[in-house]
Amino acid sequence: MSDSGLAIELRALRKVYQKKQQTTVAVDGLDLDVRRGEVFGLLGPNGAGKTTTVEICEGLSRQTSGEVRILGRTWGSGSDLAIRARIGVCLQETKFFDKQTVRETLQLFAACYGRGRSVDAALESVSLAEKASSRQSQLSGGQRQRLAVATALLGQPELLFLDEPTTGLDPQSRRQLWEIVRSFQRQGGTVLLTTHYMEEAEQLCTRIGVVDRGKSIALGTPQELIRSLGAEHVVELEAKDLAGIKDTELGALPSVQSCERSGDKVALKVQSVHLAVPPLLELLRARGKALDGLSTRHATLEDVFVHLTGRQLREEASS
Amino acid sequence: MNLRIVVAVAKVSFREFWRSPEAVFWTYGFPLLMTVVLGFAFQPKEPEPVPIAVVVARDSDELVTALSRSGRLKVAAMTELDADQALARGRIGALVRGTPTAPIVRADPTRPDADLARLLIDRALVRGDAKDVAHFEPETRPGSRYVDFLIPGLVGLNLLGAGMWGMGFQLVQFRTQHLLRRLFVTPMTRSEFLSGFLISRLLLALPESLVIVLFGVCLWDVPFRGSLVATMLLLLAAALAFSGLGVLVASRAKTIEGVAGLMNLCILPMWLLGGAFFSNERMTGVLRVCADAMPLSWCNGAMRDLMLGDAGVMDIAMPLSLLAAFAAATFAVALRVFRWT
Ligand SMILES: Nc1ncnc2c1ncn2[C@@H]1O[C@H](COP(=O)(O)OP(=O)(O)O)[C@@H](O)[C@H]1O
Ligand SMILES: [Mg+2]
Repeated sequence: MSDSGLAIELRALRKVYQKKQQTTVAVDGLDLDVRRGEVFGLLGPNGAGKTTTVEICEGLSRQTSGEVRILGRTWGSGSDLAIRARIGVCLQETKFFDKQTVRETLQLFAACYGRGRSVDAALESVSLAEKASSRQSQLSGGQRQRLAVATALLGQPELLFLDEPTTGLDPQSRRQLWEIVRSFQRQGGTVLLTTHYMEEAEQLCTRIGVVDRGKSIALGTPQELIRSLGAEHVVELEAKDLAGIKDTELGALPSVQSCERSGDKVALKVQSVHLAVPPLLELLRARGKALDGLSTRHATLEDVFVHLTGRQLREEASS
Repeated sequence: MNLRIVVAVAKVSFREFWRSPEAVFWTYGFPLLMTVVLGFAFQPKEPEPVPIAVVVARDSDELVTALSRSGRLKVAAMTELDADQALARGRIGALVRGTPTAPIVRADPTRPDADLARLLIDRALVRGDAKDVAHFEPETRPGSRYVDFLIPGLVGLNLLGAGMWGMGFQLVQFRTQHLLRRLFVTPMTRSEFLSGFLISRLLLALPESLVIVLFGVCLWDVPFRGSLVATMLLLLAAALAFSGLGVLVASRAKTIEGVAGLMNLCILPMWLLGGAFFSNERMTGVLRVCADAMPLSWCNGAMRDLMLGDAGVMDIAMPLSLLAAFAAATFAVALRVFRWT
């Protein structure tokens, strides 16, 4: 049945929302393969169609057209309960029961799965053991999210869906969740997660699909995606009155691939910092420009996204 | 159907209710409060005199004197304008003008006390303060008073309110906070979920009804003459019927406001026609047809047979099976139309 080795197969997936006069194409012809044992990240700005895609995979909503296979089976063909027994889901937003303790909430979910791990083991795995008898209202944001992940892990799923699991969390809680995901992967689990944090995608995902406006615009390991820029470093410099120096002049410097400006700042994508920086400084001195700042960093997925779409990932995310 | 899941859902739903003080108050505290207040308000006592007004005119003093001879009338002299207003507001039962030999009585015939006022006026003018011909025997024996009528009705009302609100609110609340979506993606079926939900309600229905009955029995000697087994069966069937209706009403509603409107639509007609506060057995025509079609009427009628009469299971077989059928039907429909999202 599921001998293809693929946990998720999406072919030409489309989802159209029809609301009175307005038609929204949330997912627009998406093809995607998630292999068993990998942590696959759907990376994209808000409204890119990530949640829609994941909810179709979870069987929560139906696609307008296209094919969906989850663990080798399709939804609505009589094996829905069998699929649900093998997946774990953490929705983008769920408020659990107001009046149940953490343990009682987990007990309900545990009852849903015949096999599955014990409530205590689940509590332990997300470090919530000492909060077992607290109600949801007494939990912090990070603890709530870990509770949500714990409910998803109770059935010992083969495939775990995490929709923006760390949005709104502090860095420490975020790391804690990453650790839970990694340990799930080490035990052979497959994960499909969505995020608009590139750091998260880089740190956690074996492969990434970058989506924008319902379409997949890039696919690969984080390293492959960054390498596709043709430049692995970014040199950012800040100086007054940089308008006097043209993009073409900067682009012609050794090892520089491309150049982007915003105000008094210029970002150069470069292959080798040690080749690009000396001539750059030379050029600035020759034109009499005083530097206000100069820094170099590794290129990130953010740069990939900007390169592909001309827009920032985060700007969109916060709107 | 996996029993382990059903029980787990029932436990959660039960705790969710039991741990919200306001829900507990409206289910247990409020009906008891109502029982006590209404029970005391309707204790058997001498009937109140009927207030009437005499319109002030040339000979009206004579009329006032004649009418005041009756102990059952409370006569006030008023200007025509004041008397009209008092009648319109229901402060008086009737308005009298003219002379003792040619009086005119005006009253709104749709008001229950209009006819009584008319008769009392007539009698006062004809017979003055002569004694009654028939000896009056006030009915104060337990089982025949208004409070005896009221207690079984309050049991029904409480089952209706708690069943519908208890089920409906929880369901819609879970839906709005995306909990139902989350439960949907587990291997739990609708019937397991909804059964668990209903079972939690059943556990609450028996004690809350028995508490009301017990109050009536202890405070006012309301009798309980029928079969206890039949009573349990009736309470369970009624609780299932009303909570089934609650689940059905909440099976698609997306907001608390939406479900509250639908609830009121179901509950209000039953409050009026379901025979809780006043008998619907003398109603006629369309009203009677509606009253007879209401689960609350079945429940109240049977509960009165059990408490005031000495009914057994067979005597209430009809309302019992109607309630059970109603419960089964609402549950079946709810299963079909229920939405997780
Ligand atoms: N139920 C819905 N009805 C109409 N439009 C929707 C609905 N859900 C999502 N959309 C639209 O579909 C697009 C994709 O949304 P979503 O999948 O939630 O994006 P993301 O999770 O990447 O932020 C958005 O434009 C959103 O407004
Ligand atoms: Mg989303």
